[in-house]
Formats: sequence, C-alpha cells, structure tokens
Amino acid sequence: MPEAGNDVVRGTPLVDRTTPHHRVRARTLHARTRWTGLAFAALPLAVYGFVVLWPLLQSVQYSFFDWDGVSQATWVGLKNYTGFVTDPVLRSSLGHVLVLIAFFSLLPIALGLVSAAMLTRARQPGMGLFRWIFFLPQVLTSVVVALMFRRIYAAEGSLNSVLSAVGLGGLTRPWLADFTWALPALGLIGTWVTFGFCMVLFISGTSAIPDELYEAARMDGAGAVREFVAVTLPGLRGQIGVALTLTITTALRTFDLVWVTTRGGPGTSTMTPAVLLYRAAFQNPDVGKAAAIGVVMAVVCLLIALVITKVTEED
Amino acid sequence: MHISGMRRTAVVGALAVLALGASAACTPGGSSGSSTTAASAVSTDVAGAGDVTLKVSDFWGSAEGDWMASLIDGFQKKYPNVTIDRTKEDWSQLITTLNLQLTDADGPCIASANNGWGSLGTLAKGGLVRNLDPYAKAYGWDTLIPQTIARQNEFTTDFTTIGSGSLFATPVARVSMIGLYYDVDKLKALGITPPTTLAELEAAAAKAKAAGEIPFAYGSQDGGTAILLGLQALYGSAGSINDYVYGSTSVTAKDTGLLDAANELTSWADKGWLTPGFEGIDYNTAVANFVGGQGVFRWEYTGSLGLSAEQQSHFGYIQLPQVTDPSTTVGVGAAPGAMVISSRCEHPDVAAAFLDYLMSAQSAQTAVDHGMIPLLHSDVTVPASMGTLTTEAAGAAAVGKSDGFVPYFDWSSTTMLDTLTAQMQQMYAGKTTPEQLVAAVDADRTAGLAGQQG
Repeated sequence: MPEAGNDVVRGTPLVDRTTPHHRVRARTLHARTRWTGLAFAALPLAVYGFVVLWPLLQSVQYSFFDWDGVSQATWVGLKNYTGFVTDPVLRSSLGHVLVLIAFFSLLPIALGLVSAAMLTRARQPGMGLFRWIFFLPQVLTSVVVALMFRRIYAAEGSLNSVLSAVGLGGLTRPWLADFTWALPALGLIGTWVTFGFCMVLFISGTSAIPDELYEAARMDGAGAVREFVAVTLPGLRGQIGVALTLTITTALRTFDLVWVTTRGGPGTSTMTPAVLLYRAAFQNPDVGKAAAIGVVMAVVCLLIALVITKVTEED
Repeated sequence: MHISGMRRTAVVGALAVLALGASAACTPGGSSGSSTTAASAVSTDVAGAGDVTLKVSDFWGSAEGDWMASLIDGFQKKYPNVTIDRTKEDWSQLITTLNLQLTDADGPCIASANNGWGSLGTLAKGGLVRNLDPYAKAYGWDTLIPQTIARQNEFTTDFTTIGSGSLFATPVARVSMIGLYYDVDKLKALGITPPTTLAELEAAAAKAKAAGEIPFAYGSQDGGTAILLGLQALYGSAGSINDYVYGSTSVTAKDTGLLDAANELTSWADKGWLTPGFEGIDYNTAVANFVGGQGVFRWEYTGSLGLSAEQQSHFGYIQLPQVTDPSTTVGVGAAPGAMVISSRCEHPDVAAAFLDYLMSAQSAQTAVDHGMIPLLHSDVTVPASMGTLTTEAAGAAAVGKSDGFVPYFDWSSTTMLDTLTAQMQQMYAGKTTPEQLVAAVDADRTAGLAGQQG
C-alpha cells in the first residue's frame, strides 16, 4: 500500500532504493523534494484559494441568509434551499435543464459517434474540411450564435421561409415565442454547437484504436454495426466521458443562450437555474437565493463529473 | 486507495466545518439603517466651499447625455470653484453595481439610481445614500416637487414603507411617461382625428384594421408591459395605483384597474389589433416597426422611439383621460432617474446644490431644448418645430393638472416586472386568464412585502 506522498517523487531518477545508505539519502531527498514542490505550488495555491475557494465558501455562507446585498442580512437557515421544492418556477427550471441535457449532450454524442464511425470506416478525401465545418460553431461566441438563431427562428425568419417554400406553411410559428417549441428550439442550438466538438473528439479517439482490432473484427465477420459496438465504442470510453462531462455541465450552466433569445420566456417555459441566479443576484437583490442556486449547481456539476469519471475510467 | 479516499473525505469535511463556522461567525452586510438620519447642519453656500471636485455617475446617453453635459457646464460656470467629474455608464451596468460603487471610498458622490425597492430602497436601507430632508427644507424642495412625484423617492426611516417618510433622492426637471403614440400621416390617410377617449381609440383601431393597417405596433417577446400599464391608468384612480405600488394592503390589484386593463388588452389581441406574430417580436423590433410605418398606434415610454428632428412632426402623443371621468387624467410618469447623494460624499452641501440645479427652471428649459419633456416648471418654451414634444408636454401638463402621476407598477416588488412579463405572455397564449394574471400580481406583491418586513 503506497503512501499518498510517494506520487511526488515517482520516476525521479535520483531515488535509488538498493542500499540502506541510499535509502537514508532517498528519504532526505524525498522530504526536500516535497518541500520544494510545495514552495513552487504555494503562489498558485494562494491565488487559487483567494479567487476560487474563498468566494466558494462565501457563497455557501451567503446561501443561509436573506440578504439584499447591502443592508444587514438575516439568518434563514435552509429556506433558500427549500425553494428548489416549494418555488414552482425554480422547480420547473430543473426540468428544463434535463431537457437541455438531452439536446446539449446525449443527442450530439449519439450523432458524433455515428458520424465518427462512418468517417473512419470509409476515409474520403476532403474529410478535414468536413471536420472543420462542423467544428466551427464551437469557436463562435455564444452571443453571436444566439443572435443568429434568433433571426433564424423569428416569425419571418429563414426557418419559416424554408417551411413555407416546401409547402409546410402550416407549421410556421415564431419558434422562440411558442410555449411548446421554445425549449426544444433552444436545445437544438446547443446540439448544433456541441455536435462538431463531440465528432472531432471521437474521430481523434478512433484513430488511436489499433487497426488490428478492426481487422480481427472483420476476420470474425463483424458488420459495420457489430464492429462499432465491439471495437469503436469500448475504445472511445474515455472520450465519451470527457464529452459527457463537458456538455452536461454546459447544459447545466445555460445562461447566455437563454438571456439573449428568450429571457426565460414565453412565460417561464425556458427558464434555467442560471438565469434565475442572475436575476436574484443582480436584478432583484436576493443574494441568499442566488448563492443557494449557485451552490446547488456547483454540487450537481461536481457529482456528475465524479460519477462520469468513475464509470468511464473503470477497467 | 483507502487512505487517499479517507483523506479526501477529511478535506471535504474540514471545508464544510470551515464554511459553517464562517456562516455562524459573522453576518454579511453592513450596519443596518441610515446613520445620516440625524439632521446635521447643512449649508446652501457653494461659492464659499473652496475648490471641490464632485464625482457623478449616471446612465444618460445621446440627447439625455447632452442635457446632463450642458447642465454640468452651466453649474461649473455658475460656481467656478466646483469641478464635476462625470462618468456615463450603461443603465443596467450602473443599477446592478451601484451598491458596490457607493461602498467604495473612491465611488461617486452623486449617482442616478432607479426608484423602487430594488435599487433606491436597497441603497437607502443600507445607509449608502443620504437622507435629504435637511436639504429639502433648506432649498424648499417640498413646495417645488409635486406630492405624487416626491412620494416616488420617499421611504420611512424604518424602511418598511415606500411612498412616505423621508426624501432619499430627488427627481430632475424632466419626466418620462407611458402614453399613446400615433402615426400622424397614417391617421390623416385614414381620415381619423386623434382620439381623445378610449372609446374613440377603439373606433379608430377598428377603422384602421378594416383598412388593412395594423392598429397597434407591438411585440411581447422580451417585455412589452407599457400597453397594459398604459391601459391600467385609464381605469384605476391615481390614489389606488399609488397606494398599491407603495404597499398599502388595503388595496388589491383588482382595485387598480389592472383586471379591466387585462380584459381590454385580451380583447384587442383577439380582434387581431396587435401586430401579427407579436409573441415572437422583441422590443427593439417592435419600436423599429412602428417608426418604420408598420402600425398606427403604439403604447410606449416617452423618449423610447428615438425620433430624429425630421421625424418629430410625423408622430403625435396622446395622454388619454380616465374612462369613467374624462375630466381627470392619470398617467404613469416619473423623473428618469432618482438622484442620490452618497453617504461617503465629502461635500454633501455642494452635491445638494447640484441636485437643486438639476431641478431648476434652467434644467427644464434645457430639457425642452434637447427634445425632452419638462417637469416641475411649466414656464418653458417648446420650439414649434418639435411637433411630438409639443404633444408630449401637453400630456404631461394634463397629468400634472390632475396631480395624477402614478409610479411604474413594477416598483411594487423587485420581481414584479418579470411576473408581469411572464403572465402577459401566458395570457396571450391562453394559458392564463386576466383574473389569474391579477391574482399572480397580488401574490408577487404579497411575497415581496413579506420579504420587506422580514
């Protein structure tokens, strides 16, 4: 059972455990290396503590108070947290986030896997361009993306024009103002943004899978589907874990997209916790509620990341 | 593995203990209440104050910014010993950070806050801005400012009530209102004279619709509450709306004309009098549509159409009288900004003199010269070329004559604007009724009042 501290000196060539004499030397070296390491890390740690950990603790503290951000705060215990159960708007925002996770994470990962499998199975010329095009949304600023889709989804926007042109005029509507369709419409923007990222991640992952595995699978008579399930999917476990973690946390934190397009409307049908957090923190001073939302979001993100890491890293 | 696992648990536990300890040890927030309530000796002597630099933060751009700049010039000419260092910030930027700016030692001495609990109320309660009662007495503001306008800046010193008590901010000599704009050319083409009552407006809208015009240019995607609040002022009395917004529990939303207004608005939507597809039209697009000639009428905040000098004669403004009593005019109106003096300001006497200057006849005339509606002073000269402003000033004068100013309805609670916007969207989609909208508004205010007392 190794000591946790051993990690620090693992692979250091100076450490030689062959003789007792060397062992003593190794121990002092070990100690010295550890202190030097800490000294190097001290400044970054201090900065990290000051800009991340301290505000985090403060947020936890604020979440137990009723506070307008200026005057004396009053202790309210867990009242800000019970809002997740009692406040219908806050409660529904959690449901909206689940829908967004499907669009931001599950759908693009599924599409990314399929396209990666197709692209690697038959290598076509011009694939680099194809990849580049689909990756493009990832580098666009989210506000630009949101403004662009606001025009596409508008009553007289291009989506409705296309629908009318192909004889589906009956389906046209102001998409972002429709109680049923606003949330899926927002979700599809997320799909568009994250799909390219997932695909590129998976393509690079499949290139790391040894060709012998594919050859063996084909020798055994596996078709495209069997090959995908037996070789590609297990080989991409790590990449899928990364994609899941990043896209799910993106979905959980959705703010800019909603703020620029619908502000949570129509009604509260596209309200997300992040938008409610912003409103509580900056518009209707209720810092305790904002902090409670923030803390819950952080804990949920952390848990999801932990679970995904555990599942995808198991042998 | 086990050791590192235990270690991780220990670290998390330690963090949790630390957090709880921190929460129990101290309470966030400064001292409660205003420390400046006690009337210190105030002076109206500015010239004798020596060389003074005042930092001012406000959110006024374009014409409003020019108005402010020209008044700062005027004040500095009058008092050469005073330098005013103005910072113009984006509206939401200033309102959301003012509480931090005013706790900063280097922060502004004078700032334009927003009325209501969310902004001015929070600052006053936190003791960040001065109680202006001593200056009101020294300068005679209590006689200069009409009661319905003064109430908008008042809080009791126990900060349970808005709309009475001490003055914590001053208005400026111009006003921003909600009223009905019309396209002069379109009315002429339709052969309609500008309506003077709600009934006439409805007849005009029906006629416009029959002629293939859009009666009301509108969009509700990200707001669009002006139409409802404009209608409310035709049904509710000034007293009931004021009392409701200022938290009197003896008045319910139904008493303020909100139900009548919501019913009226629903019927307009059903008759197709609003811009088709208005649910998906955002505010800026709706304004652009109206100014660009798509729509005969539009309910709007004054100063929001962004009319050029050339467009001035093409749009008129109407402040409709009350439905039941056409001799009374009630209108949503307030000074565009509540001017506060920071508690940290080292020269409050000079700052107060500047606030007084912002309410002077000179300020009102400067407002008119820049195309804005004057307040507090009626002896101003509106240039004949400013057609829209002439009608706007007439509207403001009519409300002033009835002492019928009512505050923006969303001052009744910090979340009211969000509630109204969401409820209206649901009402248009048939997901709530006007009755349910009114009930939701009451529920929002009740929750807000409970938070205020708590």
